[in-house]
Order: sequence, then C-alpha cells, then structure tokens
Amino acid sequence: MAPSIDYHCPCLASSPAPPPPHLPSSSYSFHPLHELFFCEECDAVRCNRCVSVEVSGYYCPNCLFEVPSASVRAEKNRCARNCFMCPNCRNTLSVVPSDPPDMDDGRGSTAALNAVGEPPFFLYCNHCRWDSAEVDITFEKPTGLAAQLQKHEDSAPDSLEFERLKEHFEPFLRASSSSALAGPTPASHSHHAHVNPITAAASSALARDIPGVAKYAPHPRGRRDKGPRDEMSEYRSRVEVGGTSAMGEADVDFMRRIEEESEVAAVEQRWANSWATSLRTSDLKPLRIPLHSKKSKRCPTCRHILIKPEQKAQSVRFKIKLVAANYLPSMTVALPRPLDIVRRGARPPADDPSGTPGLHAGSTYPFQIALTNPLYDPIQVRLSVQRQIPPAVSAAAAAAATEGGATEKSRRPPFAVSLPSSAFPIAAFAEAWEYEDDEDMFGVDGDEFGLESRDGRETQGKAKSKTVGVLEKRANVTIVGGEVVIGKDARGEVKFNMLVSYTYRSDDALPEDEVRGTPSRTSKAPEMKTFSFSTAVNLGPVVPREENRMDTD
Amino acid sequence: MDAPISYPKSDYIETDTGNKVSRRATISGPQNIILGGKTVISNGAIIRGDLKRTGPGHAVVISLGRYCLVGEGCVMRPPYKTYRGNFNYYPMKIGDHVHIGAGSVVEAATIGNHVEVGKNCVIGKFTIIKDCAKIADNTIIPPNTVIPALALFSGSPGRFIEDLPESTQEMVESRTKSYYTRFQPLDR
Repeated sequence: MAPSIDYHCPCLASSPAPPPPHLPSSSYSFHPLHELFFCEECDAVRCNRCVSVEVSGYYCPNCLFEVPSASVRAEKNRCARNCFMCPNCRNTLSVVPSDPPDMDDGRGSTAALNAVGEPPFFLYCNHCRWDSAEVDITFEKPTGLAAQLQKHEDSAPDSLEFERLKEHFEPFLRASSSSALAGPTPASHSHHAHVNPITAAASSALARDIPGVAKYAPHPRGRRDKGPRDEMSEYRSRVEVGGTSAMGEADVDFMRRIEEESEVAAVEQRWANSWATSLRTSDLKPLRIPLHSKKSKRCPTCRHILIKPEQKAQSVRFKIKLVAANYLPSMTVALPRPLDIVRRGARPPADDPSGTPGLHAGSTYPFQIALTNPLYDPIQVRLSVQRQIPPAVSAAAAAAATEGGATEKSRRPPFAVSLPSSAFPIAAFAEAWEYEDDEDMFGVDGDEFGLESRDGRETQGKAKSKTVGVLEKRANVTIVGGEVVIGKDARGEVKFNMLVSYTYRSDDALPEDEVRGTPSRTSKAPEMKTFSFSTAVNLGPVVPREENRMDTD
Repeated sequence: MDAPISYPKSDYIETDTGNKVSRRATISGPQNIILGGKTVISNGAIIRGDLKRTGPGHAVVISLGRYCLVGEGCVMRPPYKTYRGNFNYYPMKIGDHVHIGAGSVVEAATIGNHVEVGKNCVIGKFTIIKDCAKIADNTIIPPNTVIPALALFSGSPGRFIEDLPESTQEMVESRTKSYYTRFQPLDR
C-alpha cells in the first residue's frame, strides 16, 4: 500500500490527544482529508461520524424522479412509478412487451402474436433473466406499474398487519409526541439520541410484552415510560404468530422434495421482507426500488450547516460546502526510491509492482511530505511528531494513561522519526498556479520556481546529502523531507502521529475574508492565528530483516 | 512528487488539442469520434466509431470530453437495439474527467463528468452514469442501469454501495489533471 496521511477528527476522543495510530480502533478517528468538513464557527474539523445529518430531498435512484417529501411516506419510501428491483439479483427490472419468440415455452401469454409492444407486459431482469411472468405478474399497459401492482401489495398480509399496527399506535404516538415537545429536556443535538416517538413506542411495547427487556433499554427513564405503557391497550395481531405450524410442515415437505438448490430462495432474497415469506424462489415478487436521499450536514455543536446540496437531485453542486480541504493544508507523503533522488524523472527498474519500496528493518529511509496550501494567504507550518505517550503533556493525559502506561511503554514504536523542527513557509494559493500546472510544467526542475523563495534553501534542497528539512518550494506546494530510522526488530507498519500547526493571517476566524478585505486593511499589522491538527502518517509495512526473527518473537 | 508515467514518444500521436492517442489502439471510424482535448487513448484500446446510425452522412458516434482516459485494452462500443423492427446503433456521450480502467468494456449511452470506471468492468448497453459516480474494479453493470450522481457501484450485478464524499468532483479533477501532466514521453 502506498504511504498515506490521514487527518484526525477529535469527535470520538475525550482528550485532545489523538489515539496511537497502531491500534486498530484508531482508524475510526482518522480520515482522509477529502472526507472531512470544517466548521468556521467552532474553528474545528468535523467528520461524517460526528456531523448531524438531515434529509434535504428524496429521489429514486433509477428514474431519478425527485419525490416530494409529502408523498414519500404514503409510498413507503419506495419509488411509486415504474422502477422495480429483481428479487433474485437486485438488478433493475425493465418492462418488456410480450414477444412471441420469447414466450414459446408456455408461460401463458400465447395470445400475444401481434406487433411489438403488445400487452401483456412483464418485468424482465437483464442480468439473471428472471421475469415476472414466472410469478404471474403481468401488466396491461407499460406505464404506472406500481399503481397496477398496488392492489396486490395492499392485500398482502404484511402490509395489512402494518396498517393495523400503525392504527394501534397512532393515538399513543400523538400523545407522546406532544408530551415530548413539552418535556423538560429537549432532545440533545447529538445524533446518538434516537428517542423519537416511534422508537419510544416500539420499546415500550416490547417492554410490556417481553418482561425483562426494559432494563436493557439504553435510556432508562422509568417514570416517563411507565405512564404511556399502562395506558396502551394490548395489540391483537391479525394472524396468530404461533399458528404457523401448518406452514412449517409445508416448508419441510417442500425442502424434502427439492431437486436444485436454486429452488430455495436465499436468505438475502427474503431478507428485505418484513414478513416470513415462502421459501420458494418461485414465490419471489418484484420489489419497488427504495428511494435515496440527498443529505445536508450540520456541525454537531453549533448547528451551522456544513453541507447543503442543491435541490436538483442529480446536481453535484452544493449551496454550502465547508470541506476541510479548503482550510487545512493537504499533505501527501512519499518514500522516494534511492534512484529517484539522483535522477528524477527516470523510472528505475521497479522491484516491487506496487511501486513503493519495502521498508527493511534496521535501515534508515528518507521520506518526503508535500504540503499544499489551500488558503489565499501564505502560511507558516510547523511539524512535530506526537509521541504515543506525550511525556508529561498534561496531568489529565498522564492520569488517563497510568493504567495503560506500562503496556504502552513496552510497545514503543520500534522506529524513530525526525522531521524539520523549524517552521517553514508555504506560499499562498493563487488561481494562476492552476493554469501553469495545467501546461507542461512537469519536468521543469525546482530551480525556476525556487527563485522567489526567500532563504535560498533550494540549493541545499537539491543537495543529495540533505534529507531532513525543506527540499523544494513551488507555487503553493512545499516539500519537506523527514527521515525514519527503523529498529532491527521492527515489524508491522511504520505509523506515527504528526502534529501540524500552521499560522495564518486573519482578523477573524474566516481566512477567506482576508482576500475580500480592503487593501488598507492588509497593509496594517495583521493578526496571526494558529490552528493545529493531528494526523496519522503511515509509511507502509516493515519487511522483517530475517524470517526467523519473526519466529523468535 | 508523483512519479511520471512515461511512454516511448513514438507510441502515441499527440494532437493540437493535446489528445494522446496510442498507435496501438484500434480507432475505427475516426471521423465519427470526438475527443475533447487532453484525452489519452491507451495501448490496445478499441473505439468503434464505425458503428453509426444507419443513414447517409456522418454522425457523431462516440464523443469524449477533456482529460479523459481510455485504459489499456478497453472496448468502447456504441449501444444498439432494435426499435420498431429496425436495428440501430445509438451515440455514446462521455463527459470531462472520465477515467476508464484497463480492460473494461463500455456500451453506455451517457457517462457524465468526473466519473471513474475501474478495471475490468462491463458497462452494459444504454447505461446512464451521472456525474461524479464511481464504478469499482471488476463490476458488471447490466444493460439499462441508471447510476445516480455521487454513487459508488460495485459487484455483479453492480449495486449501490455508498454515497461518495462531497468533494469527489475536486478529487477526481485533480487526479485526472495530474494523470495527464504525468503522462509524458520518455525522450523529450
């Protein structure tokens, strides 16, 4: 795997220090930069795990019809037009007319010997060749199929039962939603709080019918639950649940006689049904396609909108899009092959098909981090390695680590990383760079761009001996070098936490405002702000020095 | 910092608009094919511009936008069907920043902008792929499938897996641009 840098979102952590990257659980806290958001109000990184999500529109993924939210519920969150899924392979079904040559195997539609487009129509799967005539579903006209199937669906036992359940819970829902509104604790903004009237009703019903469930409820608020639970009358189902013995015997009988395994519908094919259905493949019905939604995302703490899509379902533009890539410098890490340093551009014979050299235990490797500044102002960046246990960073951190400290110490990373210790600048992002990058700027060595760099470091940067420090500056990209010394007994992956602090000029929390600001404002002494974030750098797996070394461990 | 992708200069023909077409690609009916510029047609690709609608004159059969890549050994073939008893081919339109992985067979009707198709995929006839969608490697998309915007599809038959991040467009754009800049002849 190629070396990578992931960014830390502190939402899952109780302390600001990121989790040690070698723990598998830490992968939940680190994300690629392009998946992160940035809240300007809180001045903080947000990830998909912590933002609160709201549905801003529904659409059918097949016909791309934008379903008004009013009808979503009535249509049971599924497309009510012509879109069906194959019950066999979940592919989209297409409507085909009866076609005499296709129908010669006696499927009952032999009457249609006319021109193309003759009824009856049926649904056909282009992938597994399932067709709805197999289950005796045919249509008089090729449009409004869902409406034509409506009567079948409405008379199905599961939808009747569902309607009955809804009726039963309706008064309770109305009562509890009004009490929830008047309740003393408004629902917390956290997405973990799923206490809406429906789940409350379900859990209280469950608690009443199955004794003992109540004590496992995640939100044990006894007195509030008790009232409605007692008020609710007992629900009598349409079909007695216990009375399936006859059906069970029929199933056994069917299973005894099967000749091919394909006669039995797989669990996956019956899974989506809310009702225990027949085991036979021949009883599978086409499924209406579930709707998809466009989502807007909010900051979990300040409720500001981070993502707001355009109304049009298939538009990929966003009215509001606060992504971290527009605020934090983006970083890529690479391990140059020894030959690359000497003659850049020429490809050395690759010994490794993946293109990355293996890291061998007991050796020293240089690596390069390219930082790209997305801001319209130059920034100063400082990198530092975050130790697994920061020695006496804060009492709180130390206290938290006391019990785990001993084991952590023994698992100290078997490698040492050196990074440039001083701060280095990255030039501002300018639109013009984009166009130059477009053209054949490739292959031009750093010299031409390096001319404008202030401290003339590029001459050193090109020197072969130098590996740690600023190697190259061009446009809004600065490449710095680091070095990793891998211990003799090293195994696993070379992963470490890196703290990135950057200083930018701003008079408020919005860096972009500086660009729009008046020239007079930029001339006076600007306020500098510093933002820090943690990253996990993964340089790849270590190739053990000797095979037997692994055995002795 | 990214390694260049080099090719022998004699292997590719470069057009005025920066398209790079391999001499080892099979381009049938080139007068019916439009390349938007800075598009790379790799070795061994087959593009069937000759399969045009019946009728006189020439029509655009396959159009590709800017910064596209047709990977090695890809087959691009316009979709066909028999409609009212007449067999006909229908044009294929592909937007900008579309990468098609090596060994894929594409018979789509429309592919939007910023779409990534993986390696060894089969994109069935009259498939419509909307903007910023992604097809994972080795996916089979059956005919007439519609793939919504910002969706990842995978499997056989290809199914919806997840929504892609909001910044997919920028990611794909920078990737396709960087691919084109890295795609350089050796002797220069």
